[in-house]
Amino acid sequence: MSVIKAEHLTKRFGKKVLAVDDVSFAIEEGTITGVLGPNGAGKTTTLRIILDLVRPSSGSVTILGHRYRELRAPAARVGALLDSSGFHPGRSGRNALRVIAAGAGIPDARVDETLEMVELEGAAKRAVKGYSTGMKQRLALAASLLGDPEVLILDEPANGLDPEGMLWLRTFLRKLASEGRTVLVSSHVLAEVEQTVDDILIMSKGQLLAQGPIRELTASTQPVVRVRSPQAEKLEAALVSSGAAVNRLNDALAVRGPSAAEVGDVAHAQGVALHELLTEQPSLEELFLQIAGTRREQ
Amino acid sequence: MIALARAELLKLRSTRTALGLFIVILVVTLVPLVLILALVPKDWLGEEGITQFLTTASALVPLVLLVFGILGMTNEYRHGTITYSYLVTPRRWQVMVVKLVVYLLVGMVTMLVAMALVYVAILIGGAIRGVDIDATGGSTLGDYARQLVVAGLVTTFGVALGALIRAQIITVAGTLIWALFVENIIYVLKPAVGNWLPFVVFNQVSAAQMSGDGMEALTESALTRPEAFLVSIAYIAIVSVAAVFISLRRDVT
Ligand SMILES: Nc1ncnc2c1ncn2[C@@H]1O[C@H](COP(=O)(O)OP(=O)(O)OP(=O)(O)O)[C@@H](O)[C@H]1O
Ligand SMILES: [Mg+2]
Repeated sequence: MSVIKAEHLTKRFGKKVLAVDDVSFAIEEGTITGVLGPNGAGKTTTLRIILDLVRPSSGSVTILGHRYRELRAPAARVGALLDSSGFHPGRSGRNALRVIAAGAGIPDARVDETLEMVELEGAAKRAVKGYSTGMKQRLALAASLLGDPEVLILDEPANGLDPEGMLWLRTFLRKLASEGRTVLVSSHVLAEVEQTVDDILIMSKGQLLAQGPIRELTASTQPVVRVRSPQAEKLEAALVSSGAAVNRLNDALAVRGPSAAEVGDVAHAQGVALHELLTEQPSLEELFLQIAGTRREQ
Repeated sequence: MIALARAELLKLRSTRTALGLFIVILVVTLVPLVLILALVPKDWLGEEGITQFLTTASALVPLVLLVFGILGMTNEYRHGTITYSYLVTPRRWQVMVVKLVVYLLVGMVTMLVAMALVYVAILIGGAIRGVDIDATGGSTLGDYARQLVVAGLVTTFGVALGALIRAQIITVAGTLIWALFVENIIYVLKPAVGNWLPFVVFNQVSAAQMSGDGMEALTESALTRPEAFLVSIAYIAIVSVAAVFISLRRDVT
């Protein structure tokens, strides 16, 4: 049985904004799924609908077989980190968690445990208004873990984390998944999640463009070959005549179609010197363009 | 529900809100009281009119509690803590009902503390000036009880208003302007309507049984005290029910 099952979710804000447009997906137990999409794609709205914070205009969603509001002791089953911080600035980090824990019937000892898990115990007694963005993010992560939940829904957890924090988060998410938990995590940067997630949902303008295992989706997209050459114009002409798509900026070329080896062969045949030759995995933006393109062709 | 009430009390204790409330109450009750006790000539102090006036030092407390109730609710929206409240208790009506009840009780306890402060301050002030003042100002136990109930109700009223109109400053300013000015103007211009307005009605319930001339306006009111009490309850009930319903339907984004 799917842990989260969304069917034809649609959400309108007022008459003009169609934030989520007929979105259906299923999330399986023990997987990490990334929800990817540019700003305004509808990621946050979708996650908030799952958590019953936003009521869908139509469609339905269940989590662990029920609607969220029908779960008994939801904090013990589903943990959530949402983008707007949700902490009173004058309250200490520890007290902010204690308030949440008190409502869920969770003992204070667990509060201290989660603070340690996110390495925030040193700042726990300080008011949240003195926290950095990354510290607030860690506090929110601690809040999501209070009930030791089976399912975690995290909206842009990497926001405001430094590179070290991102690495820590990745390891942390992997650890959570290895314990059999199901994680749904949103991001607008593919690179942020691509080493972590098993599956991805790609959203844009409220619609779900693609879903599936990340390897399949990124494998179906063409990598870009980046080349730098003092004779870039000559190389460009040769590559174009061999059927490749080429963009040139001064001495740099972005080549789509041939592999790096093939580009190297063409350069060699033309007697063109290369100063750089590398294959670049597509960014989220390129993934979008390609997926949107293939959808249009269908 | 008990867990929710505990969380609600912890919310109050873990910010400076409760401390702020206490300080404001101290200021609005004790400052005028101390000034009068210190400055009024000694032979006036024992007179009935003055002692009655002294015991009304806690009359501003419900207004402070009203603002306290509004802040208690609107702060949850302002800082987004409402998200966690609903995540932990997705049956939103429970969150709202517990909050309304907790604030009712907190309002009553605060009023009790304020009345005790006033009582003790008058006793001490009288002793220092060497005047034997009746620190109750002629108020009966029933008078005190009604003031307590109204203080609780007004706090709840604030919470419900805050849920209806989430914009903090607008709600606080609007409600105060309404309570202090608009109702009084209507009351003067159109007493038939004015007698039914919420804060006039609350006052009618809490006003002590007094005989002084200044109190005539209140005793002339068209509503008897039991009627006023019922109308007060009706106001609180309507606004609270509306607050619960709007909370059920609202998107938390
Ligand atoms: N409360 C609201 N009222 C009106 N429109 C809203 C509201 N919340 C979201 N929207 C609109 O819905 C659309 C989707 O927003 P959403 O926050 O879900 O996007 P997102 O994918 O999370 O974007 P981001 O990456 O910027 O967080 C946007 O056009 C946004 O303006
Ligand atoms: Mg978002």
